[in-house]
Amino acid sequence: MYVLYRKLWRGIWSNKGQFFAMALVITIGISLYVAMSTTYSNLGYAQERFYDDNNFADHYFYVVRAPEGVGKQIAGIPGVEKVTARIQQDVAVIKEDGSRASARLTSYPLPLSGQVNSVALKQGRLFEAYPANGGAEALLDPAYLEANGLNLGEQVEIIAEGRQVPLTVVGTAIGPEFIYAIKDLSSMVPDPKTFGIFMIPLNQAQEVFNLPGQVNQILVVFAPGADIEAVVSQIEDLLSPYGNLASYPRKNQLSHSLLDSELTSGRIMAKFFPIIFLAIAASIQIILLRRMIRMQRSQIGIMKGLGVSNAAVLFHYCSYALAISAVGALTGSILGLLFSRSLNQLYATYFNLPNVEGFHFQIIMYSFILAASVGMAAGLSGSAPIVNINPAESMRAQPPGKSTQNILERFPFWWRRLSPLWKMSFRSVARNRMRTLVTVGGVVAAVSLLLISFFMNDAIDYMMKQYYQKEMLYHYQVRFDQPVLSSETLAISRLDGVNSVETFIEIPVKIHFKGRNVEDVVNGQAQGNQLKTPFDSEGNPMAIPEEGIILGEITARKLGAEVGDLITVETTFNRGAPMISELSVVSINRQLFGSVCYTSLSQANRLLHEADVITGCMLLVDPGRSAAIEAQLSEITGINSITSRQKEIDNITSLMGSSMLFVGIMIFFSLILGLAIIYNSIVMSYNERKKELASLLTLGFTHGEVSGLMLKDTLIQAVPGLIIGLPTGRWLAVFYISSVSTDMFTFPVIISPLSYVLSLLVGLGFILAGYWLATRGLSSLDMIEMSKYVD
Amino acid sequence: MAEAVLVHLQDVTKTYVMGEVTVEALKATNLDILAGEVLVILGPSGSGKSTLLNLIGGMDRVSSGELSFRQQALHLASNNQLTAYRRDHIGFVFQFYNLISDLTAWENVELAATLVDNPLSTAEVLEQVGLKERLDHFPAQLSGGEQQRISIARAIVKRPLILLCDEPTGALDYQTGKSILELLLDVNRRHGSTVVIVTHNAAIGAIGDRVVRMSSGRIAEIQVNAYRASPEGIEW
Ligand SMILES: Nc1ncnc2c1ncn2[C@@H]1O[C@H](COP(=O)(O)OP(=O)(O)O)[C@@H](O)[C@H]1O
Ligand SMILES: [Mg+2]
Repeated sequence: MYVLYRKLWRGIWSNKGQFFAMALVITIGISLYVAMSTTYSNLGYAQERFYDDNNFADHYFYVVRAPEGVGKQIAGIPGVEKVTARIQQDVAVIKEDGSRASARLTSYPLPLSGQVNSVALKQGRLFEAYPANGGAEALLDPAYLEANGLNLGEQVEIIAEGRQVPLTVVGTAIGPEFIYAIKDLSSMVPDPKTFGIFMIPLNQAQEVFNLPGQVNQILVVFAPGADIEAVVSQIEDLLSPYGNLASYPRKNQLSHSLLDSELTSGRIMAKFFPIIFLAIAASIQIILLRRMIRMQRSQIGIMKGLGVSNAAVLFHYCSYALAISAVGALTGSILGLLFSRSLNQLYATYFNLPNVEGFHFQIIMYSFILAASVGMAAGLSGSAPIVNINPAESMRAQPPGKSTQNILERFPFWWRRLSPLWKMSFRSVARNRMRTLVTVGGVVAAVSLLLISFFMNDAIDYMMKQYYQKEMLYHYQVRFDQPVLSSETLAISRLDGVNSVETFIEIPVKIHFKGRNVEDVVNGQAQGNQLKTPFDSEGNPMAIPEEGIILGEITARKLGAEVGDLITVETTFNRGAPMISELSVVSINRQLFGSVCYTSLSQANRLLHEADVITGCMLLVDPGRSAAIEAQLSEITGINSITSRQKEIDNITSLMGSSMLFVGIMIFFSLILGLAIIYNSIVMSYNERKKELASLLTLGFTHGEVSGLMLKDTLIQAVPGLIIGLPTGRWLAVFYISSVSTDMFTFPVIISPLSYVLSLLVGLGFILAGYWLATRGLSSLDMIEMSKYVD
Repeated sequence: MAEAVLVHLQDVTKTYVMGEVTVEALKATNLDILAGEVLVILGPSGSGKSTLLNLIGGMDRVSSGELSFRQQALHLASNNQLTAYRRDHIGFVFQFYNLISDLTAWENVELAATLVDNPLSTAEVLEQVGLKERLDHFPAQLSGGEQQRISIARAIVKRPLILLCDEPTGALDYQTGKSILELLLDVNRRHGSTVVIVTHNAAIGAIGDRVVRMSSGRIAEIQVNAYRASPEGIEW
């Protein structure tokens, strides 16, 4: 037995290049598995715990206004476990430097504990209902505090009901509904500089908004086993006198749905990527073991002749595969844990979620089991031929590899024109069917991973271009507190440096169609507007119709409505009675994030039975004057928010670094995968044909010509792999996008020509690098040694 | 018979160093190989025959001494020059044929033919070695004797001046071995190539013009045969 182990180690050592190449591929597979599984488990656990601790709501009901007491009434409905009634309202914030931000002012009945969507204090102390020295106290989300350089004890200034109200910051807190804190779906990423969550006691909110004893939102946690649909409709009925604005379940809650889709896509990736790497590592191991066994056939025969059992010999070869797995699992787990730490940190910058950390012994254990199963499977199926080796037969000279006609030989016209060296390569590739398959498959996988990585880069690029260079061309977008007459914008257009002002109205609506209803926003654009354009699903710009409506793709899908259908639109402004009208669907637009329905400004006014009101305007300004204009706009009361396109772009760009890092790592891993495949394939083919290659040298072929032969072999397998890899990569991208698409987020798979070219170039790079690594030793090919032995 | 010297060895030695151990495979050796002769190198296993042959064929380098081909000093030649020497002037035939398993009989010969500017016709060479029938067969589908014929065809298609054969009959049965020797003599007669045959089989010495006897890395004796025996007539 001892001899067997000696032989094992000698085997590993003499194939150390291949051993480490395979161990490296397993390392990558395992590290991806460990890193992603750990991160997404952490994220999932943290999410669950945070939701539990803070009674995250199952359902949200928005009303115009309702007496505080409805909370108690709803709590009495069977199936309702917890209810919190509150006021939430977006307000404008005037920063110290005079510039604008917006805040989601959210209020909490006291005491806080046990409330639905309660918050967790991070710094400072909780607010008090009636501070000793008067005024109002607020908690801020920590990202806003930090991004704006605020300190506890300082004041923030909001505008509510046309008045400036100071709030004293007494602490920071995070809540389960603000984990991913974006204002609405049209902002791609959090921008804590211009959007914050301000938390105050309910009584203070009632005072600020002049709603004594009133609330505008009811949050509900259902009892386990409740008939949710029935309970929801009961609550809706109860609330209908108060102006039902919206009612939606947890899955439509903004932060939750984005976090969930991140988790879903992450969990898919956590399986998908490791499987590719491990499957390829296993395939290489199988063919490598088969080759080793073929080479060592007579030794195996001798051992079996000496009475060593099949099982012992099998175990010997399996342990080779297991040794590779062990090295891969060990280094992979360590690397994976390191990666997961930085991934966790990355997520911490996107998500306000406590305790995204820790490592799971279970995952490490799984990773070892996974690696061991890969090793076992590869070992057993690779060494299966051992069983058939007959001790007596194995001593006899082994039948050399049988060459037969390959496909190309069916086209004699071409075949005859090939030089003998090319014929050699084609036949060798055709003869080693299994190895060729693995090599081609490996290159396909590496190239498609490359393409997917480049595609992720394209996707970000596409989003930025589509959104900021095609859909919205304004420099600033201004939104008012409430609908105003369009003449109100005169003051803005008179500002020095403002070149053009285009008006619009945004009306929150409920759209009804065939018994279904969906909440959305109707965006009415003034005639001749050019700064905001809807696009159809083919990416063509669309004209805004004078009458009727352009439905957002997602809304249309939810409603089941098509072009030509008549839909019912109910306005849900939180002031005034709802207005109901019928509109015909003129066309359907595709929005990258969320949904917007477009119509003309006049049609939108007709929905409100108004003639000339707007809720905002878009500006083009002299670039040199933008700072001054921003400052002047900030002084105008009645303006709720000012969005600077450039600042949004800057903010997104600053967050893209980490995505780029991820893309870079994926490209690097794909490169290693390709390199390992090519290297192993060449080394195997080289070891097998050493004798023949040496005989070419004795004939008078140069070393260059002989290694050129190996290059021919490689190219014959790798070039088809490269070519197949591109459509495969595209297909995988489509598959990936479709599996992570949600109601709120869908994405066209648009891959730039440059990405195809880059994938091919990097592919060619790993082919040549693998070839170089594998044939470095060729000059030491010993002709004399080789000419001596049969095998 | 022309007496021109093709390859000249003067005090040639070959030492292999393997860690602590050095093996003197070839001790100071002097030998001239003449154009057009059939030279048989005889000796027991390990006596240095293959070492000598490989030096003559430019497959290996001398440790000391001088080795020249016509006017060219091979002991000073670069790797590329040695490769060119092998390609242009040398044909090798090995005990285990060393054919390319992925090429047919025809293609194996064709492969060698592509190396030189003015090769013999592949078809004629294959006919000469008695294999015009099974040209499309792969080595694995041929008998040992047939494979050795192809390897001879592959060697001679380049019109080498010297055909170096290392135990060409070592893996063959008695009759086949004889027919291969016949073929080698035939090559010598038809193309005038110098044929060097290395063997441990003393009986084969009779078919050469000269016999070099080796023992322990030295040439013990060079015997000139009065006439060349036909392989048919010898026995072992
Ligand atoms: N590459 C080598 N490394 C070390 N020793 C070698 C090598 N080649 C041959 N020898 C040694 O040189 C001696 C002569 O070998 P060789 O020329 O092959 O003998 P022969 O062909 O007469 O059987 C032997 O002792 C052999 O072991
Ligand atoms: Mg020998």
